Order: sequence, then C-alpha cells, then structure tokens
Amino acid sequence: MINYELVSGLETHIELSTKTKIFCSCSTEFGGEPNTHCCPVCIGLPGTLPKLNEKVVEYAIMAGLATNCEISPISKMDRKNYVYPDLPKAYQISQYDMPLCKNGYIELSNGRKIRILRIHIEEDAGKLIHQRGNTYVDYNRGGVPLIEIVSEPDIRSIEEAKEYLEKLQLIMRYIGISDVKMQEGSLRCDVNISVRPEGTETLGTRTEIKNMNSFTHMAKAMDYEVSRQIDLLQSGETVVQETRRYNEADGCTESMRGKEDAHDYRYFREPDLVTIHVSDEQIERLRKKLPEPPIVKLNRYMNEFGLPETDAQLLIKYRNIADYFEAAINDISTPKTVANCMIGQIFSRLDGDGAKENFQVKVTPENLNALVKLLESGKIKMNLLKATLEKMLDTGKAASELISESDMGGIDEETLKGLCAKAIADNQSAVADYLSGKEKALKAILGAVMKATRGRADAVEAEKLLIELIRQ
Amino acid sequence: MDSFGKIKKLSEQMASKQISCVELTKQYVEAIESDNDKLNAYVKSTSDVAMETAKRVDKKIASGEKLLPLEGIPMTLKDNISTKGIETTCCSKILKGYVPIYSATVWEILQNQNAVLLGKTNMDEFAMGSSCETSCFGGALNPHDFSRVAGGSSGGVASAVGGNLAVYGLGSDTGGSIRQPASFCGLTGLKPTYGAISRYGLIAYASSFDQIGPITTSVEDAALVYDAISLYDERDSTSRGKAAAPASESLNKSIKGMKIGIAKEYLDGIRDDVNDAIQKAIKVYESLGAEIVYFDMPSLKYSLAVYYILACAEASSNLGRYDGIRYGYKTAHYADREEMICKTRSEGFGDEVKRRILLGTYVLSAGYYDAYYKKAQNLRGTLIQAYKDAFQKCDVILAPTVPMTAFPLNFSSKDPVETYLTDICTVPVNIAGLPGVSIPCGFGNDGLPIGMQLIGNSFCEATILNAAYQYETAAGKTAFRAVDMGVRL
Amino acid sequence: MVTHEEILKIAKLAKLSVSADELVALTKDMSEIIGFADTINAVSSADSDFDSVNNLSNVFREDVVVPSYDREEILKNAESQDDGYFLVKKRA
Repeated sequence: MINYELVSGLETHIELSTKTKIFCSCSTEFGGEPNTHCCPVCIGLPGTLPKLNEKVVEYAIMAGLATNCEISPISKMDRKNYVYPDLPKAYQISQYDMPLCKNGYIELSNGRKIRILRIHIEEDAGKLIHQRGNTYVDYNRGGVPLIEIVSEPDIRSIEEAKEYLEKLQLIMRYIGISDVKMQEGSLRCDVNISVRPEGTETLGTRTEIKNMNSFTHMAKAMDYEVSRQIDLLQSGETVVQETRRYNEADGCTESMRGKEDAHDYRYFREPDLVTIHVSDEQIERLRKKLPEPPIVKLNRYMNEFGLPETDAQLLIKYRNIADYFEAAINDISTPKTVANCMIGQIFSRLDGDGAKENFQVKVTPENLNALVKLLESGKIKMNLLKATLEKMLDTGKAASELISESDMGGIDEETLKGLCAKAIADNQSAVADYLSGKEKALKAILGAVMKATRGRADAVEAEKLLIELIRQ
Repeated sequence: MDSFGKIKKLSEQMASKQISCVELTKQYVEAIESDNDKLNAYVKSTSDVAMETAKRVDKKIASGEKLLPLEGIPMTLKDNISTKGIETTCCSKILKGYVPIYSATVWEILQNQNAVLLGKTNMDEFAMGSSCETSCFGGALNPHDFSRVAGGSSGGVASAVGGNLAVYGLGSDTGGSIRQPASFCGLTGLKPTYGAISRYGLIAYASSFDQIGPITTSVEDAALVYDAISLYDERDSTSRGKAAAPASESLNKSIKGMKIGIAKEYLDGIRDDVNDAIQKAIKVYESLGAEIVYFDMPSLKYSLAVYYILACAEASSNLGRYDGIRYGYKTAHYADREEMICKTRSEGFGDEVKRRILLGTYVLSAGYYDAYYKKAQNLRGTLIQAYKDAFQKCDVILAPTVPMTAFPLNFSSKDPVETYLTDICTVPVNIAGLPGVSIPCGFGNDGLPIGMQLIGNSFCEATILNAAYQYETAAGKTAFRAVDMGVRL
Repeated sequence: MVTHEEILKIAKLAKLSVSADELVALTKDMSEIIGFADTINAVSSADSDFDSVNNLSNVFREDVVVPSYDREEILKNAESQDDGYFLVKKRA
C-alpha cells in the first residue's frame, strides 16, 4: 500500500486598494452601477493608451519587501494576448519574464518556509454575468490593479496551504495595500496540486483548481482533489494536467477541459509603456514605511507582555486592534489586563469580522489606559473596573466621569462583614439552596453584596466572607 | 500663386482681410463637392464643422485678435485619427459607424488653433497597405494621373492636398505611409521622430512604429504644422515632445558644410529614372556647399523582414479588440459567442489586414517566437546602432523615398510580398524611430513625381527640414508641377 | 512551407474563420509571406537587449481620481446593451 503525499503551490491574486485603476484615472470604488467607472482607456477604445499608476508600483514593492523578496531594479510590462469578453483590449497588460519582485518566502508556524517565486503587477478584467445563455458585461472592475503572488510548490498539507494564505492575507492587510477579502474578491486563490509517493522527489502531474472563494472551500477542494488523484493512480490510471473548477454545491472539482483550451498567450513587451527602474533609495524609503510585521508583533506580545498565543493572535489580527492595544498599554504594568478587557468586554460589543477590522468603539485607548491604571494603583477593584468599562462602552465617557472619589478605595472589612451578614439574612432561600449543594446559589447572594457596595468590594474577598458566615 | 509656403500667405491674407476664412473655406468645400469624385480622397465631409470654425475665425479677425499660425487654414485628417463626435473608420468595414467619444490629442491641439476640418480622408484599411486600395471605400487616386494610385496608407491625405482640396493634412506613418504617398503625389511628407507627436487617439497599427505627421505642398508648411503639433502629451507614455527651437525658424540657415550621407544600399535596385533624379539632387546639394559622404549600411537589407515581423506582431495584438461587443460591426447571425467573434472579424476585416494579423500571430506563437519576433527585435537593435554610427559620419542621410513612381491601379493586389518590397527605403526609418521627410525631386520617364528622403538623427527635424528647404528653394519649379484642379490659389 | 493545419490553427488563435475556399489561396499567400520573413535567418544577430525605441523610463501617473465618463457615452457605440451592461446575446 503506497502512501502518497500532497505537493502544492498557490497563485494568489490581490486587488490593490489604490484610489484609481492601474492604467487610467477611473475610481476603483467597489460596487457602483455597471459601466459607471469607465473611460476610453479602460474599455480599450481604439487609439487609447495606458499610463501606469505610481502607487501600484509602490504597493507591489511593499508587498515584496513584506514577504522577503528581492526587488528587481529593472522590470517591464508585457501583453498577455487572449480573447474573452471581459478583456476589452483582447490582451491583459501584465508582467511576464521580468516581474517586480522575486525569491521571497513566508515562514509557517512549523518552521517551514514556503518560497515565493515572484510577485508581479497586472490589470484586472471586467465582470461577466451569464443569464439564460446571454452574456452581460460590466467593465467597472476592468483595469483595477492586481498583484499576482506565485509560490513554489513547497506546500505539503492542507493546513499549510491555509496557514500560508492566512499569513499572506494578514501581511497584506497589515501593510495596508489591500482589503484582502476572499468573499469580496480582493483576495483570490488558485491552487496547483499534485500527489506523489511519500519519500520520492519527482513531482506528479498537477492540476490547477479555480473558483474557491473561501478558506473552507479551498480546504474542501484540496481534500477532494488529493483523493481523486490518489484514486486514479492507485487504479493504474494517470492524472491529466488540466484546470479544474471547484463545485461548491457538490463539494468536488470538475474538469474545465474544453472551456480552457491550452492558451498560447503570445507574450511580448508592451510597446505603449516604458521600463520601470526601481532605485535602492526608493526601496529603502518604502521599507521604512512598512509597519512592524505581524509575526514580529505576535512574538513581542507573547514574549514581552506574556500574553497567551491565542490572545496575541486576536490582537494582531487587525491593524486597528493592534494599534489600539499598543496605545492603551502606554505606561501600563499589566498589559494582560488591557488585553483581557479588549478581548472580553470590548470584542463582545463588536459583531463580526468587519466590525472588528474597523474597531470603532466608544472607549478611546487613552480612556482604557486611565481605567486600568486605576486598578493598578489599587484605587478600584476588578469588578468595579468591569462595571465601569461597560458604562464607558455605553456612554463613551471617561472613567473619571463615572467613578466618584467615594467609590474608590474599596470597603473595609468590618463594613463588608456587615453587608454580607445582611445579604445572608435577606436571602435565606438562596442560603438554603447553597447548603443543600447548589453552589450557584451563592452567586445570587454575592450579587446582592456587590450591589450594596456599588461594586466597590472585592468580589473574591466578599465571596470568602459569605462562605465563612454561612458556615457559622 | 507661388506653390511654396501656402499657410503663412493664407494667414496673412485672412488677417489683412483680403479674403475671409468663410470665403476661403467655401472654396475648398465647393471644390471637394465637385472634384472629390475624381480622386476619392475624402471619405467623409465635415463641411458644417468647417464652416462653423471659419465663422469663429472671422469673428476673431474682426475683433483685431492676432491669428495663431494654423488658425483658419482648411485641412484634413486621415481617418485613423479619432475625432470626437465624427465617425472614424480607418476605412474598415469593422469600424463603419464608430463615433469616438474622445478626440486624439493632435486634433485637440489643432482645434485650439481653429483648424478648419474639411473632412476625413481615405486610407488603406487600418493603415496596412501601400496604395490606399485596401480601403473599404476603394482607393484614392493620384492627382497627377488618375490611372495611378495616390499611394498608401495615407493616400487620401496626399490625394486631397495634391489635388488642392486641402491646404495640408495629417497622416500617419508606420513603414512609410506619409512619405510614400507624398512621393507619389509630388508633395512634402514628414514622419517625425518616434515620440515627437502624441499617439493618443491615433488608432493603432503598430505601436512602436506609428507616428502622425503632416503632408503639405511645401517644406515651410510641413515645418509649421510640425511645430504646432509636436507637444508633450501626458496621456501618451511614449511621448517626448519636441526639441527646444521651432523647426520653422531655421529653414533659411545655410547648409554649407552640412554632411549629406548616402548609404549605398539605399540605391540598390531602384529604377534608373529614380536614380537619375537622386543623382541630380546630390548635385544640387553639392552646389549649395554640402559635403557628400558615401558609406555602407548592410543592415538595411534585412530591414523589410524585420519591419513586417515586428509591425504585424504588434498589429495582431492591437486588432484583437475588434469583436463587435463594444463598438463597430457585428455579424448578423451566429450560433454562439465564439462564432460571433470569428464571423464578425472575418466579415469586418479585409484580406490584407487578415494576412497581417495572421503573420503577426504566427511570429508570436509558441515555437516561433524566438526565431522570428525575438530575432527581429535583436536586429532592430542592430539597425538602430547602425544609424547611430552613420550619424557620426554625416548630418543627414539622403535616399530615395520609393524605388519607383506611383503604381498603376490594382498593381498591389497581385502579389503581397512584391508590394512589401517597395517599402524598402522608408521602413528602416520607422524601425529606428528617426525623423524622415520626403520632398519632390523630379519626374520619372512616365511623367510621375519622384520623391527623395532626408533622414535625420533623433529629434533633428529642424536639420532635415532645413536641408529640405534649401533644396526646394534651389531646385525651384523643376521638382514641382501644379495640378489643375481643386482650389487654385 | 506552411500547412493548411497550421494556418487554421493560427487563424483560430487570431479569431478569424477561414472557409475551405479561402484556405488554399490563403495558405499560398501566407507561405510566401512567411518565406519572406524567413530571410532574417540568413543574418546572424547578437542578443541586442533592445529596450525600446525612445529609451524612456519611469513614466508614471499620480493616484488621483478623475471622474469617469457617463455610462451613456461608454455604451454609445455598442450594437446591443441592456440595463447598463454590454450585451452579447446567446445567438442571433
């Protein structure tokens, strides 16, 4: 029984978030009525000429720097010729043999490096809608700038593929060059995949899978395809090199043979555009513009602040959250407290990834900072902090406006004992429940104590006292 | 009227109110109405636009404002130059009815000078041809002899200007398409340095070869038009604009001591009478004090093949967009989209265009790219260097424009390759992106005009126009013959 | 010598249809034309690293939005359109 291993490489297309298209000044704004973000250049009217958007080159270089690539000092644009209604010029202006970036990598958590062969810039095509056999064409998306990131076939498992793509997504989001949302199409991935007997070196025949618009689909597609290929090989057949489409409904991949006959793209240098020279100076300037890479940040949060990995991952996921966190921990001795406040109470107010990404909250990082400092200096206790934070999230007010002087300083033991005794007296049925084994009943009595102290008491201490008193 | 320098004279006459712009324009409009049938120079009349512009110019004159150099001068544009709101067809069935929603930069520049557009002129389909006969409207005829072609691909412009149906016109030159028709029709035709004139709005044939340029009845007029349109255009990434000083201001410079180079290969295989005319022209230059320098340029010999490989490769790509979906002709009946596109293109394009698309596709296709396209690119580099070396030895290169005089009608359609071979003298200049001007230098045994070329180094239009002007003045009427039709000024 | 098959293959790439009638004459013409192109084989050439005709580099545009054209203009020359889209009917 031969065991097979999977070999895979990913081709990722990322829509850049520049304001204008790559070769004309039309807006790249998403949505919009069909054909309302167009001009003679991007619909390829006869006689029009392209002009390269400088931001596209900058963003591509940043993408390369953030993935450890070499930036080519000289590169050029080429025409990729093929006919399809979404391509108004019948060629796509792309880069063929002299891409802007080469030879980078992404490091995975298992220590393995997935090498990046190249990153190049190109224009996106328009959108086709097929209805009752008719084809409707909208060129709004035509000319939107893309970078294509091609990895070497270094991926050895579906988990690695997911992690590679997630890391790529995180990096690109971090450096601010794209929204990288798979569901919206600003992150697209084609998977090249083959299998070979474990321990062998030769690559098997690969297929290319397209049309997966979520990480889950990608995983399912890869899983199906690996099984399909292994089945073929085990029954003595061969894998045909072809492009396959992921069928979402059936969870399988289907051959696109016939629809995608071998293309001869007849690449040649784009005569309407000129050479791109990237200077060392420009590279350094852009390198300085890059933010701290997410992986470095992650390690820093874990090592310097002692945050557990899961918490650190949540905080680094979106720039806005990380920036907020870093502002909120200014001069704080327990960053963990700030982290807990954010991950616990603040996150629970944010519905979904979109809200988390925007991270619009009423509490400013400075205000959270001030609140936690009150805890650190002993002026308030944890439950008052939590209660106050809720109020801050509701009102946007600062802690100083919500906590009075008298609230701070906690409660002395005598007073607390008295309040506990009263609470016990007032909640006899709860006491009885507790004594008969219902541990949870204690919480109700504790609640009453906390209410009476307006949160000033230390909950842990109060609970201890209650138990003592009840036992008496 | 002296046939030389029409533009300045007309401008002065209008400014001094000897003639109004409306009157002048009317003369041309009426001449076109009566004589265009003989020549088939114009494929579209824009007389209403012309008259409106003329009225505007007269108002300006009435208010005492000074006229710009080309203001109010009746002219024409080759029908591959986009004119907003005015049908632009490249004389192809596939673009019949196409009305651009924007104007070419050169047209915007001229509109700002109130150029009086009389109409759009005839051309070989998509500028592919050397006789104007691949036009879907039929060819334009030679004003000197209606049994001969006006030349191509800017045959319509040459026919109109030569037949006195326009003072000047803008054509385009990819492999000789301005210079050859100018030569056939006894006119001056300038192909500027690649990058001197914006290509934005010029419907592309071969992107790294195409340039727009003027066809006129004199060198001075060509210089004036060149000066007006050679501006930097930010919409064209290959645009460089012009050198500092206007070419029209240095025409009178003496050319004593100017080194005129003759590359022997240019004279190979040209007809005897053409060679005689060239030799006479050389004598004129010697009499003007120029020094004649002879040298070899063997790389000229393969330039035709290099041109056709590279130009057709670019063309095959540039013409891929014509599929009937966004503009232009669409086939009436089809069973599916693939058939729709193939039928549209096959019905919409003429034979020569199809042949060039096929050649271009072939030389770029897998397995052939290295042997054809890549090799031709390398040879292009070699030829560019050869010209650079040549200009170490001389200031301008003198050569025939065409090895013969105007072809008879239908000569071209017989054998495509034989027609290609007639481009031998013009094509190398496009390969190198250099400026070249053709001026009349005599007549053949058949009585038809012969043209000679002056080729200059990059952005040395002033130099070649200076040399051309000096010859024109010295040779006088011997190289020119008025045509008895159109507007006789 | 170029074969009929090659011509048909190239025509397909170029999205041109060639009828049986046309194929013979076209193959003959194309053979001659390609033969003419072949004449460059006689010349030796070094890799000239040919860049471009006018040696320009780094010609860029600023990332500033300019209002797009009205949709009416964009669709003006289309033979068929529907609801703001360019339309390619299934068949006609």
